This record gives sequence, structure tokens and C-alpha cells, in this order.
Amino acid sequence: MDQSFDDVWAECEDLFAQARQTLAVLKESPPAHVVQASVNALFRTTHTLKGMAGMLGYTSFSRAAHRMEDIFDLMRKGRLRSTDSLIETLEAGILALESGLAGIRRGRPEPDDYLHALRRELGELEALARPTEGGTQDLTSLLDLPPDTLKALSEYERTRVTALLLSGMPIHGVAVCLDFATFDERLRAYSEVLGAQGELLSTLPWDVPEDREGLAFLLMVACPAVDPASLPLLDGELLGVTLLADPARVPASLRNPEPEAPELPQAPAPASGPPPPPAAQAVEVEILRLPAHRVEALEARLMAVGQLRDAASLLMRQAKGLDRERPLALLGDMEEGLLEVQKSLLQMRMIKVDSVFSRIEPLVKGLSRDTGKPVKLTFLGGDLEVERSLLGRLSEPFLHLVRNALDHGLEPPSERVAQGKSEAGSLKISASQRGRNLRFDIRDDGRGFDLARIEARGIELGLLTKGQAHTPERLHRLTLEPGFSTQERASQLSGRGVGMDVVRAEIEALGGEVHLSSEPRRGSLIRLSIPLSRAVVSCLRVRCAGQMFGIPLNSVLRVQAGKEPLHGGDQVDVLGMSTPLESLQTCLGLPDPDGQKAFVVLTQPGAASRSVAIAIGVDEILGRGEVLLRSLPELAHSPGIMGGSLQEEGILWVLDPEAILGLAMNSLMRRVAHA
Amino acid sequence: MPESSTWLHVRAAGLDLLLATRDLREVVAPLPVSAIPGGARGIQGVVMHQGEFLPVLAWDDLPGCGSPAGPVTALAVLRPRLGLPIERVVGTLGALPEPWQVPEDSESASAWSGGSGLLGDMELRLVDPDRLVALLRRLRADR
Repeated sequence: MDQSFDDVWAECEDLFAQARQTLAVLKESPPAHVVQASVNALFRTTHTLKGMAGMLGYTSFSRAAHRMEDIFDLMRKGRLRSTDSLIETLEAGILALESGLAGIRRGRPEPDDYLHALRRELGELEALARPTEGGTQDLTSLLDLPPDTLKALSEYERTRVTALLLSGMPIHGVAVCLDFATFDERLRAYSEVLGAQGELLSTLPWDVPEDREGLAFLLMVACPAVDPASLPLLDGELLGVTLLADPARVPASLRNPEPEAPELPQAPAPASGPPPPPAAQAVEVEILRLPAHRVEALEARLMAVGQLRDAASLLMRQAKGLDRERPLALLGDMEEGLLEVQKSLLQMRMIKVDSVFSRIEPLVKGLSRDTGKPVKLTFLGGDLEVERSLLGRLSEPFLHLVRNALDHGLEPPSERVAQGKSEAGSLKISASQRGRNLRFDIRDDGRGFDLARIEARGIELGLLTKGQAHTPERLHRLTLEPGFSTQERASQLSGRGVGMDVVRAEIEALGGEVHLSSEPRRGSLIRLSIPLSRAVVSCLRVRCAGQMFGIPLNSVLRVQAGKEPLHGGDQVDVLGMSTPLESLQTCLGLPDPDGQKAFVVLTQPGAASRSVAIAIGVDEILGRGEVLLRSLPELAHSPGIMGGSLQEEGILWVLDPEAILGLAMNSLMRRVAHA
Repeated sequence: MPESSTWLHVRAAGLDLLLATRDLREVVAPLPVSAIPGGARGIQGVVMHQGEFLPVLAWDDLPGCGSPAGPVTALAVLRPRLGLPIERVVGTLGALPEPWQVPEDSESASAWSGGSGLLGDMELRLVDPDRLVALLRRLRADR
């Protein structure tokens, strides 16, 4: 892709991230001046997005961004109040723009109307914000019509639409597709019949269906109801009747003869009262934008710094013992400095998982509203930091899995209540670091996978053999096959048989795996495990069997010296609790030590206080420190080892606490069995 | 017969071996190998190569391999990111010696070799990276 495009994409990504953050600020009901500053920021963001898209020739995007910009303009002019439902709509709008742009980047065609799904909500907002004085009110935005068609309405048509809606009259659209040869005569016939039923407001050109030839028109008519049977439909003609605008959707404040002025987000009055506390002010953060090619260059530098530091470490190891104190001290300083640079550079690539969660929340709210399924959404582990490039690739799989959970997983409220469940479904999305992997769990309490149906569909598609027993695991995994779907028809959300295979392909391309499980009527769990490549890990450094090890501190409950030499299988006293001990050597398959001087009590990271804790015997406690963890390549994987970090004294092996707990438990059970 | 390539003739594990140059990333000076605690057979440890850990083959653990005849003087880095300790780089060949023998399944070296041929009275054995990696995975799984 053209480098200039790279720059634009990078800038767009940043703009969307800013917009999400600013909307998040608005959701917290901040003081009026913060609302004003936030809305101004959103107005500028959408304005910039509009300009950039226009520059690249994406006219539909530009048009949609313009519409969003208009809404923010209305807000900043005080004509729209910042409410939860307004913020929700705006979030959905920003998400729609972002998803649309991501689609273009992937080579998909540009949609005609990015905001199609929000047309009604945006129309209501625009209607609500129109000035009420001087008869300039305009309710045409309530019409369920494409923006271009709305623009084509004359002043007279706008006035009539507004007056009719205010008087409580619905407006209908009658779309007809007519033959070239007779269209004028036929159009007249339709107009006469509709004119007899109500007020014919307009006859607009309409899109001819792809498989048809002829001319199409939309007749806009105001009447209580259109009776299709009364229309003079001939063979070969197409006819469709829709409700374009329902007067019930006219905002109450406009129907009220003395409407209250919408509550305005006011800027603070100058010099009145004390200034707001600093914490309440919108924080202006200067963002350094790095387009993809510059991030790649930065990563190359990161690699170079890493190599330089490795060379320094190696040199120090080789020079040890020789009389070169001063050069050694200088090298030591250099190595330390390079580690700091390396950590800083690595940190620049990291981003909080929250940034993906913030995109999921408005999506879930929108889907919940559209499907009529209330959802209790919970996020865990949003503070976890992962590489930006990794998270970018995870966004689409996440969004797909969330759509699936709402569409297929969660039952409608009535069905849930009948099953004794709460009316609102639960959707929990968590991120955690497990050993050398990042783990993402998407868990719902819905109906679970219908394994019988999956099996039948698998047999039908020739993916399974009839008469053979198929394990639940095999059946769950079948849903990851390309084109597999048990849905007889695609819904708006999912069920097209595409998506789960794309999820799998994306995760596997990252070297990870997808695991699915479910229980009938109790819910489903989709687990994505992705290997970490590099990370800075805070470790407890220990020595054992002449080697150095690092134990991630988030798994260490306690460090204690033994009163006497310790052996595997001993029970040690930890704060009055008898705790089993196993030596680290034994866990790693090394020969048993004679006796050890200290132990580290390990538990699962983030586990509850009653979870398993085991004391791991080590020879020496060296202290704590931050290390740059590099993962081991697949061929060098070893149980209990998460990766390594090159240190002055050689490689420090970083332990995988969860795996070590498992190995220790196995070893202790063997000891019991052989006792 | 393997696809045409040029071949690097090396001596390792007491054998004369051929490595297809298209399978090689580079040949580098030997680096100190760090053993992995509890590591699997077939891998003696790792070295730091281009900022990442590179696993280094343990020839001793491979069927049909002898003991090294001398110290390691180079490390051949294969494309699947695996380092092969080399005792001596002998030279390059433009073509495989004929007749070329495809290894029998019963041959112990068939687990990692793509065939052999005679150059004069010297037997040259081709290292097949795909077979070698598959063997290492089996050794890891068997532990």
C-alpha cells in the first residue's frame, strides 16, 4: 500500500481512539465545561476525518462523517443535550465509521450509507435540534430515506412533511418499478389512486432493482394507511409500501405547545465562583502519531538495541576474570542503559486491552437494543498491556465473537425467564496473561452450542461420518470450519457461515489457538490463547542447580527461608498453614537436590485466596528485578519455562508459574503414591 | 532426487553432510549454547541470534549420527530457525553425486536425511529440514 495511505490510516486510527476516549468522558456525566470541551473535540475530530476521507475520494465516508459532525455541531451550539441515549447513538455512529474504514482498508467496497442502521436515531436527533421559532422547523430528517434523497426535497415538501407529522399524520412511501414504454401513464394511475387516499407529497426517482429494467419511483403520501390491494398493480410491475415516518416519533418537546428549551451544556460563567478542580478538566494529551512504516522502523531499532545489549552482556561474560575493571564497569553501565532504552521502546509498542474493550461496549449496547436482549456486560483485565500490532489484529475476531454471542448464544428474555435465568444475559470478556500466553475468554450464560444440530449439519456437509461417535470437542471445533453454519438463514448479525473460520485463521496466524466449550442451557466459553513474543516482566530472581530463574511476581505469595534443609514432599509452615513443598529441580526434571535453604510460595495469578498454593524449594533468593522476557521458539519449549532473558551471568529462565504449579502437584502426588 | 540447488558440504557429528543453500539462512561463528532446564532431547539448548533465541541441534540424540570428530567451528542456521553445529565447512557442490540413494525407511538416518550419494569414496548425506523438524517434534512429544 502507498506510504501516504499508511500515514492517513495511522492518523485515522488515532482520531477514532480519541473519539472513543472523549465519548467515554461524556458518559461519566462530567461538569458542563468538560462536556463543552469534549463536544468541541469530537466536532474537530469528525471534521478532520471528513476532510481526510474526502481527500482520498471516499465520498460516502465523507458524507457520513459530515452528518456526525453536524450532530456534534448541534451539541456544541447547545441545541442538543448530552444524554445517555444520545451518547450511545454517537458511539454507534463512530463505531460504524471506524468499521467501515477498516473494511475499506481490507479492500472491501465502500458502503453507500455508513450510518444506515442509525438513520432513524440520527433523524430524531436532528429533528429535536431544529429551531422552533419562525416556522423554520423541519422534520424531514424523520423520514426513513437516504441522505441524498432527503436533500432533493423542495422547501414546499419539507414544510408539508413537517406540518403533517406535527398534526399526527403518518407518511408512507410507495415504491414502484415500471416499464420504459408506459411508465408515464402508469405513474399517473398510481398517483391518482394514492391522491384519493391521502395527500400525495412528492414523486421521487428511486433505485431500479438490479435484476430489473425500467424506471422506478417513490411516491410519498400522507395518509393513515395505504391499502396495497387498492393500487393498480399490473403483471411485471414491482410494488413496495413502507412507513417512511411515524408521527409518534416526533420528539415530545416539539409536540408540546410550550416546549421546554433543551438543556444546554453551558460553558462555566467567567469569574463566577472558584475554578473547577484540575481533575475535572478535560486533559489535552499530545499524541505522537506513528504510521505503520515508522513503527516498523522503530521495531527494527528495537531489535538492534536488543542485539547491542546482548553483545555487551556476552562481552562482559567473556571478559570476567581478566584484569579489566574499568572497561567492565563501563560495559556494565552501557548494558544497563541499553536495557532501559529497550524497555522504553518496547513500552511504546504496548497498548492496554481496554482500548479493544471500549470498542466492544457500544457494539454490545447497540446489538442488545436491536435484538431486544438485555445484556450485563463485564470486562476483566483491561489494564493488561499487549503489543499494539497484536491488539489491532484481535479487534475483528473479538467483534465477531461478541456478535455471535448475542445473536446465537443468549436467549430472548422470555425464554431465559422460563428457564429460571435472569432476564438479562451475561457476557463476560476477560484478558489475562497465563504463562507464555495471553488468554482472552468470551463467556456467556446463554443456551450453549447445539451439538446435535452441529452434528447433523456436519454430516449433511460431509464433514462427519454418519453412525460414528463424535466427541463434544470435535463438534465444537466443527464450527470453526470454513462455511459451516447451522443457521438456515443469515440474520443481520451473523449466521452466514463466515466469520468463525476467519477468527480461527487470524488467531492461528498469530501462533495461537481457539478453544470452544459449552454446556446446554448454561452457556459457552470461547478461549483465545496467543503466545507473547516479548514483554517486560517483574520477577523474583532465584538460583537453583547453578542456574538463575525468574518467577513472575504476580504469582508469588510469599518468600521464606527454611529453618533446616528442605526436601521435596516436606510440609512447611507458612503463616500457620501447613503447605506442601516441592523442589524446583524436581519440577523441571532435574536431579533432586540434597536440601534447600529457601522456598517461594506460588499461586495462580489473580486467584482467590483459597486457591492452591505450593511452596517451591530453591537454593538462593537473589532479589527482584524487571527482565526483558523473550519467548522460546517452539522447538525449544520446555515444561515450566516461559522464556528467557539474557543477563550478565547468562540466561535467566523465566518460569511459567501455572505450569510449575501443575508440575509440582504431579510430583507431590507421585511421592504420595510411592510412599 | 531433491530439486536443484547448490549444496554446502559440511562435516558434523562424524558425518559428511550436505545442506541445500536454499534451506539456509546463514552460517555464523559458534556462540555459547545455554542448556534449557528440562529441555527435550534433540535440542542441546539455545543461543541468542538476531535478538531472538535460536534452538541448537544435539546431533548425539539423532539416530544414525556419530560423535563429533572435533570442536564446533560454525553454526549453520536453517530457515525453520534451527542451528546446526558444524565441525568443518568443506565446500560447495553444484549438483548432487549420482547415483542418488533415497533412504529406506528402515535406515536409522531416514528420520532426518533426504538421501545419500558417493563422491569418490566419501558418502555424503543430505539433511532434510522438514524431516529433521518433524523428528524433533516427535522427540519432544515422547519425553
